[in-house]
Amino acid sequence: MPARAGIGLRATHHLRVLAESPAAGWFEAHTENYFADGGAHVEALSRIRERYPLSLHGVGLSLGSTDEIDPAHLQRVRRALLRFEPTLVSEHLSWSSVGGRFANDLLPLPYTEEALRHVSAHIAQTQDFLGRQILLENVSSYLQFDCSRMSEWEFLNGVAAESGCGILLDLNNIYVAARNFDFEPQRYLNAIAPDTVKEIHLAGHNSVNFDGRELLIDTHGTPVCDAVWDLYGAALRRFGEVPTLIEWDTDIPALEVLLAEAAKADTVRADAHALAA
Amino acid sequence: MHSLRELQLDVMQAVLDARPELAAPYIADRGIAARLTLDVYANTARSNFTDSLIASFPVVRRLVGEDYFRQLARGCHARHPSISGDLQFAGAEFAQFLAQAHGAGEYLYLGDVAHLEWLIQETLLAAEHAPFDPAKLQTVPPNDYDALVFRLHPSVRLFTSEFPCVAIWQANAGDAEPPLIDLGSGPDRVLTIRVRGQLEFHRLSLSEQAFLEALRAEESFAAAIARGVEGGGEFDAAAALRRFVLAGAIVDFH
Repeated sequence: MPARAGIGLRATHHLRVLAESPAAGWFEAHTENYFADGGAHVEALSRIRERYPLSLHGVGLSLGSTDEIDPAHLQRVRRALLRFEPTLVSEHLSWSSVGGRFANDLLPLPYTEEALRHVSAHIAQTQDFLGRQILLENVSSYLQFDCSRMSEWEFLNGVAAESGCGILLDLNNIYVAARNFDFEPQRYLNAIAPDTVKEIHLAGHNSVNFDGRELLIDTHGTPVCDAVWDLYGAALRRFGEVPTLIEWDTDIPALEVLLAEAAKADTVRADAHALAA
Repeated sequence: MHSLRELQLDVMQAVLDARPELAAPYIADRGIAARLTLDVYANTARSNFTDSLIASFPVVRRLVGEDYFRQLARGCHARHPSISGDLQFAGAEFAQFLAQAHGAGEYLYLGDVAHLEWLIQETLLAAEHAPFDPAKLQTVPPNDYDALVFRLHPSVRLFTSEFPCVAIWQANAGDAEPPLIDLGSGPDRVLTIRVRGQLEFHRLSLSEQAFLEALRAEESFAAAIARGVEGGGEFDAAAALRRFVLAGAIVDFH
């Protein structure tokens, strides 16, 4: 994957990407959006893949669920990997289903030994089935469980060590969690084992007020905030050059806006590189 | 100490069934009521489900208006929550939900329009297939035709309704102001297919519908002809075969 920043690929931009071949380093697509047997979206991604490196980012495997992994879903992921040959493959450190019902949202896990062993086993099963390492992304969370016995970063490190997965570090999600649960985001970065981080996500968030307390919500619908850009500089100093993605999932703006955010990420990376030299 | 599974079952009920009291005992107090933070997840679950229905049923949405569509989506989510990590399937029960919600009333046609939209989506997302090879058929002795099993293109779907759903769909799929359509101008019997990326409708007689349903069920050519004849009216099997090969609907045989 090139050092130049990539952007999240959304269907609304397919035609422009194909017509103009914009200067993005790479694209990341949501795996489930390209599960179909055929049709315009699958055709578009196949053609885009001929021109750009690709990452496939899943949202539906529900690896933290105590249900078994859906074999049909896993099979479709494998088919997508064979069809599009992505450089990176990732999922989320979360659960979204249980008892056969799906919330189709990324629910946080309790940070316990039981959950760590459970999700690690599902990740290992997935990696065995796909025949490759996958990356697990830290999710934003708005609640914490009383039964948690370790920090989120200890849990993430533990899962990577136990399952052999890599880490997709979403810096906006770290920032959101840090603000929601009152810790220093740099503490999170400093705790993550450097050689496990294979990809970084940058995104925006919103703020709401509940009972007089602010809660940050990970909407992926706004520009990256200054504090997350600062965190990105710190992450580059700690983890070196890591493929970085601008992620924008709601209120999707014009392609130029995403390309400008990616260019800004490239500038931060160049500055960090110059500083290190 | 609760198990991970107990925690997940309770939290899922809190999120999907508006039962925050089940999950509240698990949640650490940080100054915001647990029901409010759980609501963030519940809202996202509903919103993602609704967005999927908006993508799958644009014509139903236009027919009933934004507010009522969202109310229907919310009702469908409560009755038929997603059972897949792929939201593409979220609308699988929507047509049936609409039919039940409107009973035998004046909006009975909405369920059929939703069913047509679901079939159109399936048509547009189906696999590709090479066109029919006439040279291959020439290698078969005519006496053996009866035993052949013809295969339909993966994008072919068959739709029937007592209402003029295709006309309603065509009138409401674009941005133009839709004309008034006589709900009594049905019934519809159509085949949907994707040809070079474009959706096509082909109207069917009762005989052709019966013939195609037999092919879809992988019955032999002879059995499909018999079904066509039973379908009513005159049925010219050779003409039907020619028509559906030329339309791209029949792509192979074995």
